[in-house]
Amino acid sequence: MIETSDIRKNLKLQIDGDPWVVVDFQFVKPGKGQAFTRTKIKNLITGNVIERTYRSGEKLEEAYIEEHEMAFLYAQGDVFHFMNNQTYEQIEMTAEQAGDAKSYLTENMTVEVVYFNSKPITITLPNFVELQIVHTEPAIKGDTVSGATKTAEVSTGFKLQVPVFISNGEWIVIDTRTGGYVERVKR
Amino acid sequence: MSGVPTVAHPFPDNFKQLLITRHTISKKIRSFFYDAGYVEVETPCRVKCPGIDPYIDAIPAGTGFYLATSPELQMKRLLTLEIPRIYQITHAFRSNEHGSLHNSEFSLLEWYRTGTDYWGIMEETEQLLRYLLEGDFENQDTKLIHNVPFQRMSVDELFRERAGWEPSKVWDEDRFFLDWVDKIDPYLATQPFIFIYDFPAPLSSLAKLKNDNHLVCERFELFMRGLEIANAFTELTDPLEQEERFKKALGKRRMMKKEEYKIDEKFLDALRRGIPECSGVALGIDRLIMGLYGYTEIGMVQAFPETRL
Repeated sequence: MIETSDIRKNLKLQIDGDPWVVVDFQFVKPGKGQAFTRTKIKNLITGNVIERTYRSGEKLEEAYIEEHEMAFLYAQGDVFHFMNNQTYEQIEMTAEQAGDAKSYLTENMTVEVVYFNSKPITITLPNFVELQIVHTEPAIKGDTVSGATKTAEVSTGFKLQVPVFISNGEWIVIDTRTGGYVERVKR
Repeated sequence: MSGVPTVAHPFPDNFKQLLITRHTISKKIRSFFYDAGYVEVETPCRVKCPGIDPYIDAIPAGTGFYLATSPELQMKRLLTLEIPRIYQITHAFRSNEHGSLHNSEFSLLEWYRTGTDYWGIMEETEQLLRYLLEGDFENQDTKLIHNVPFQRMSVDELFRERAGWEPSKVWDEDRFFLDWVDKIDPYLATQPFIFIYDFPAPLSSLAKLKNDNHLVCERFELFMRGLEIANAFTELTDPLEQEERFKKALGKRRMMKKEEYKIDEKFLDALRRGIPECSGVALGIDRLIMGLYGYTEIGMVQAFPETRL
């Protein structure tokens, strides 16, 4: 057990059986009275962010979270296969566990698989990934409005808005935190 | 030796400007009190009796001594010298208070004025703030309050509107502080300047109870965008009641298994001899600077927060 004075950013907590991470916290002492720690915490499984206030001295349970570096092997239907880069052990994750990460997974991509109570619960992606455009309409001639965008599909099936000058077969950088286009890359 | 330093500077960019700002604010505070006929005094940082409050813990400073959590008891003793108005800018120290709004050591402006109650000193606090806001900087809030009096609201009104109950009538300490954090603070954060007054009697500390309603005390706090800037009382001058309160607070500390400090007999003695009717305000200078200039961490406005020592 830990106490409110141990609260810091990125501390992992177990609350009602779920793993949460402290995103932000503040020590408060209204009216020179009792002290509290106000926290903003994120559920590591659902991504849900909530605020929670703890009384100073209240006991908290730490969540034991491990991260393992793994390579994405392949997907078979709704099952995603990964291999631990150190032990070569292979694991499976469901589409639900893979969450938004499945929009960006390509063969051999290295990701962090997050474990809670020895079970894989979620995937931490690199902030930026490079993916190839598989389908987008050619730019319409004369469409020179600056900042104009069109829809494009990348090799994982993920669709996003890209600038009009991007064409089929090109590689682009995507920010996995926002799902947005960053830049074109030469490969 | 000459040349430019080759290591990274330990102070943030533009910290020089912040120090000059602090200097300007101190200078304006001194000129405000000088013009109002106040005498600047000094009291020690190291004391034998740090004051007794269930929620304020002192830092030990050698056998039998503590760092002062507030200059209050000594300043009130100085009032017996028949100086009607005194102030000082000093440091106060509180154990186990760390965070974006708390540092164990902080700068405090404290002033006492005889012959006035908390309404009078609330007015004076507003005048001081307006004087500090005048001139060299303008932010949206200063424009907002131009020619408009600061908002004033009683604790009961505030809780009735935001939390659906009146603490002075059905006192519940745990519920009070939890609701303050969850329901009151978010509202206070929307207000540029607001005085909250008439605290429930159990939170009277060294404040006098209201003559016509003993459920509340003559105490106010000033909030600036949710930041608690100042705390003030019509001071309790009755030695018997004061002694009772100290004993009650000690009892509470005992229940909470906290260190029990000695009752300051010299302070009680001063009350027995008689100190004039007066009011006093404590104002946190670091938080004032944070509020005026939009800083979010107290460590950003102090040259040497604990992390830089």
